Amino acid sequence: MTVVMRLENITLEYPVPRQYRKEDVRPSGIRNLSLEVKQGEILGIIGRNGSGKSTLLKMMAGVFPPDSGRIAMAGSVSLLAGVGVGFHKELTGRENAYLYGALMGRTTKEIDVLIDEIKSFAELDHHFDRPIRTYSSGMKSRLGISVATAFKPDLLLIDEVLGVGDASFRKKSEERVKQLMNESGTVVIVSHSMGLLSSICTRILLLNDGEFVTIGDPNEVLLKYKELLKLD
Amino acid sequence: MSQVDGDDGLTPLWGKRSLHRLPFIVLKDLYSSRHLLKLLIKRDLSGKYRRAYLGYAWAVLEPLLLAIVYTFIFTILVGSSDPLYPVKIILGIIGWTMFARSLTTSAKSLSSSINLFQFARVPKTVFATSGTLTNAVLALISLTCLIPFYFIHDLPITANLFLLPVWLILLSFTGWGIGLLLAPIACKVPDVLNLINFLIRAGFFLSPVMWTYDMFNSRFGSGWHGIVAHMNPTVIPITGMRDAVLGETSNIPGYGYAMCFGIAIIGFILGAMIFERKAHSAVVNV
Repeated sequence: MTVVMRLENITLEYPVPRQYRKEDVRPSGIRNLSLEVKQGEILGIIGRNGSGKSTLLKMMAGVFPPDSGRIAMAGSVSLLAGVGVGFHKELTGRENAYLYGALMGRTTKEIDVLIDEIKSFAELDHHFDRPIRTYSSGMKSRLGISVATAFKPDLLLIDEVLGVGDASFRKKSEERVKQLMNESGTVVIVSHSMGLLSSICTRILLLNDGEFVTIGDPNEVLLKYKELLKLD
Repeated sequence: MSQVDGDDGLTPLWGKRSLHRLPFIVLKDLYSSRHLLKLLIKRDLSGKYRRAYLGYAWAVLEPLLLAIVYTFIFTILVGSSDPLYPVKIILGIIGWTMFARSLTTSAKSLSSSINLFQFARVPKTVFATSGTLTNAVLALISLTCLIPFYFIHDLPITANLFLLPVWLILLSFTGWGIGLLLAPIACKVPDVLNLINFLIRAGFFLSPVMWTYDMFNSRFGSGWHGIVAHMNPTVIPITGMRDAVLGETSNIPGYGYAMCFGIAIIGFILGAMIFERKAHSAVVNV
């Protein structure tokens, strides 16, 4: 199978806060991790809070540079996280959609094609042309999800962003992400939901304290994860 | 930022780039992201006065009102009888504001959009530049407040007037370069932002906003005071702006020009190098 992303011995350590520097506190982050993401797979990442799941995803998206190691990939990558970040409250939903698209490296023409779909998915009607300072938090989230899922990358990275909006919008978002996963082909998803990961993933990576524990068959890795949780 | 290397046919997300090429990479990134840059300038401009009844008129009113206040204060304190003093003050305010805002917006660009930089791979130089260009547009609008003075004082329209945008661009470029230099450290150490705010306030009085180059020369002469004063990169450009509008020629020594252009170019080269090397890791460490 073709490799779409390769991570070789990557390390990223967050600085220890000043008040803990005199103590022997281990910096959090990712240490010496190597990984290959293959074309067409759905790779899940699981681990306890603070195990480095989101940090790893941000490094894969090229948001955070590693302190050492190499990350290389083929094609485009998109991170579905922090939905709505970058929106400007004085701009309308439509203007923000264009700005977000430009931030994702899309041209105005590409966004022109998608703008009606973004509007209808977000269910904002006439609010779409009003400043988003007038939006409720649910409306902002709907616009965020709608814009973020409108562009189809070669490698899609998802960091638990589906818990927004009311029940019917959550269901719709889940369907949209599943559709995006089918179209993107290769997906890496971070979640605490063992049920979700076991139902959609072809492989799961288990992280603990920033280090690689195991990777492989979803059921076997989830068993290992449960054992790890019991140790606490 | 990327080029295919190794034998796996994959493109590294963080390619190796030599230090001396970084200023060119900054300019190349800006050109390739010009669409985003345009949208960010539009966003900043439309957001700035969108809810104000007078809208963009504030860009003209701000320097005009400040000039009235400063002229009033200065006339009382110093007893200046120069009828062109208000024009000089307006040009001083526009020039200084251009420099100060360019510097602060680019220095604060990483910390002010930190949430975005922690979730999306976006060209950070574009964010560090959009504020500078937005202020350049506002400065151009502000210049229209000079039009009535051309009629009141019958000011000459000479070829020197073409130098006005040159000096404004130089002020903006200098502020942008110094801002790029400071942005990564300002993102990691918030105290730097406080220091910048203080220096900008102090710089207002140390720059020829309320005083002029001639006033300085007649008081201190051209000894070591003059050399120190020329280290301030706003002294010559603001004086140049006044000369361009009033059709005058100030007695500026050659080293004065060399210093202000030198500071601008060195500031940009160092700023671009430090920004490109440190900005990406600076947003991780917050």
